[in-house]
Amino acid sequence: MLSGSAAISIRGLTKCYGKLIAVDRLDLEVSRGEVFGFLGLNGAGKTTTIRILLDLLRPTSGSAAVFGHDCQSDSLKARSAVGYLPGEMGIYSDSTGHEMLSFWERVGGRIVSSEHRRNLIERFELSDRDLSRKLREYSTGMKRKLGLIQAFQADPLLLILDEPTESLDPLMQESFYELLADARNRGRTVFMSSHVLPEVERVCDRIAVLAKGKVVLLSSVEGARKLASRRVRVTFQQETSVPAHLPQGYEMIDVKPRTWILRVTGQLGSLPSFLAALPVADLAVEEARLEDVLVKYYRDGAE
Amino acid sequence: MTVLFALVAQSLRRVRKFLLAAGVLLAGFQVVLILQANSIQASSSFAQMGNLVPSFAREVLGPSFVAFLTFKGIVCLGYFHPVVMGALISVSLTLATIPVMEIETGFIDLVLARPVARHWIVTRSILVALISTVYLLAMMAIGTWIGLNYYAAKDAGWPSAGLIGSLAVNLGLLMLCWSAITLAIGCACRRRGSAGAISGLLALAAYLTDYIGRAWKPAESVAWLSPFRYYTPFELVMGSALSAKSLYVLGGIAVGAFALAYLLYSRRDISH
Repeated sequence: MLSGSAAISIRGLTKCYGKLIAVDRLDLEVSRGEVFGFLGLNGAGKTTTIRILLDLLRPTSGSAAVFGHDCQSDSLKARSAVGYLPGEMGIYSDSTGHEMLSFWERVGGRIVSSEHRRNLIERFELSDRDLSRKLREYSTGMKRKLGLIQAFQADPLLLILDEPTESLDPLMQESFYELLADARNRGRTVFMSSHVLPEVERVCDRIAVLAKGKVVLLSSVEGARKLASRRVRVTFQQETSVPAHLPQGYEMIDVKPRTWILRVTGQLGSLPSFLAALPVADLAVEEARLEDVLVKYYRDGAE
Repeated sequence: MTVLFALVAQSLRRVRKFLLAAGVLLAGFQVVLILQANSIQASSSFAQMGNLVPSFAREVLGPSFVAFLTFKGIVCLGYFHPVVMGALISVSLTLATIPVMEIETGFIDLVLARPVARHWIVTRSILVALISTVYLLAMMAIGTWIGLNYYAAKDAGWPSAGLIGSLAVNLGLLMLCWSAITLAIGCACRRRGSAGAISGLLALAAYLTDYIGRAWKPAESVAWLSPFRYYTPFELVMGSALSAKSLYVLGGIAVGAFALAYLLYSRRDISH
């Protein structure tokens, strides 16, 4: 039974290309209003999953639904709620930006508010002159901006974005993050794949890490960060010898006469008592990065 | 319907220059042929030309040979000259491979990611093929009309409008037949190059099968397999009526191949 309350509901989804299993019994649910990061190395199965959601690919088994509408049997209704940005934009270089936006509006079947479109165009700093130029004259970044505008222009309930900030300069990335925040505030759901981990950490509520077509990590961003070990640098007033036994979850990385560098996995609650009897001069804790966790999952999944 | 209209308009807009150029060239070719026929007629050279043709060629062509070596025959040649047929079939192949090209370039991703049913894409291609076929044949007919009215003697023995119409209808159905076959092949291919090459080779093989079948009795037993077999310009020039069998066969192939294209496109993975 597909859940109508979820924006995306995937059950036992499998896609095989001959002997190659691109997506392997994938289960996933994305709630309404959530910004969901879909992560993994190249070839992990992210794009295949996205293309099944859009009914571009047909699953070998399992099912996927968007707002309760099955992506195969009821795909028109499922797709009517979606705005999509592909990883690679297939556009005709002899068309202008205006022509392509109008064409996508007409085939989209939804009326696009000219004010909303104007707002998007302004956010991404495309002028009327830019949009009147042939796409062959566009830079990669400009094509990306056009892709984002077409994905957002009908104000869809669900945005499926494949590598949205690729080729965007830092200023435009900021504009995109603001746009994403606006969409989230208006209750829109975002399902995005990205290789830019700081970006994921910044904008996503939850993440799924895919490896060889399987979900190897499904967590909130905060929860994933907690899985990371933190580095603790302790500087002493005098030379201090390393104790024979370290508390559980502690690992000594580097020892200098007056400095230790420790890797602490888990919570830091035991740190004060561990250091209480030692002549500590200074203490620095490096914030755990999502990147550290994800890289580990990427590596483990690739093996 | 708005979606279908947008898709058709977008496709036609993309190929408009190509179609315009093809139409003008084909119309121009008709005018040139009429000028040539007029010139031969004026110098009373049709009989001399007939004597130059080897006897085996006369045997192959049979009674239609006589009809062909007339003003009317030369004018009608514009509707079955190998160059004209090659050009028209090439146009059909080019337009019918648009869906596979859209898959290859990723263009269709952004269309099908919207609430657009896949059958609209095939319907769009059928409409584009129909419109292009009618347009090109109309341009040829306009070329014939201009040539006859401006460059031919009134008493030269013009072909009737009915004959030109029959040739155009028969040729149009042949074009649609190849559009349908190519569309079906394209719907099963991942690359436009593959679809074009397979369809082109198939058309060439079919043309040669028909050609050899007409000239060599043993090959006649397989010639019925070729769609070109059901394009009968010589018979029409000879005064026969447009054969219903030919229309049914060509129409049947077109309908069957279009149906296959719908089926293949609806089931395939859209991946590039």
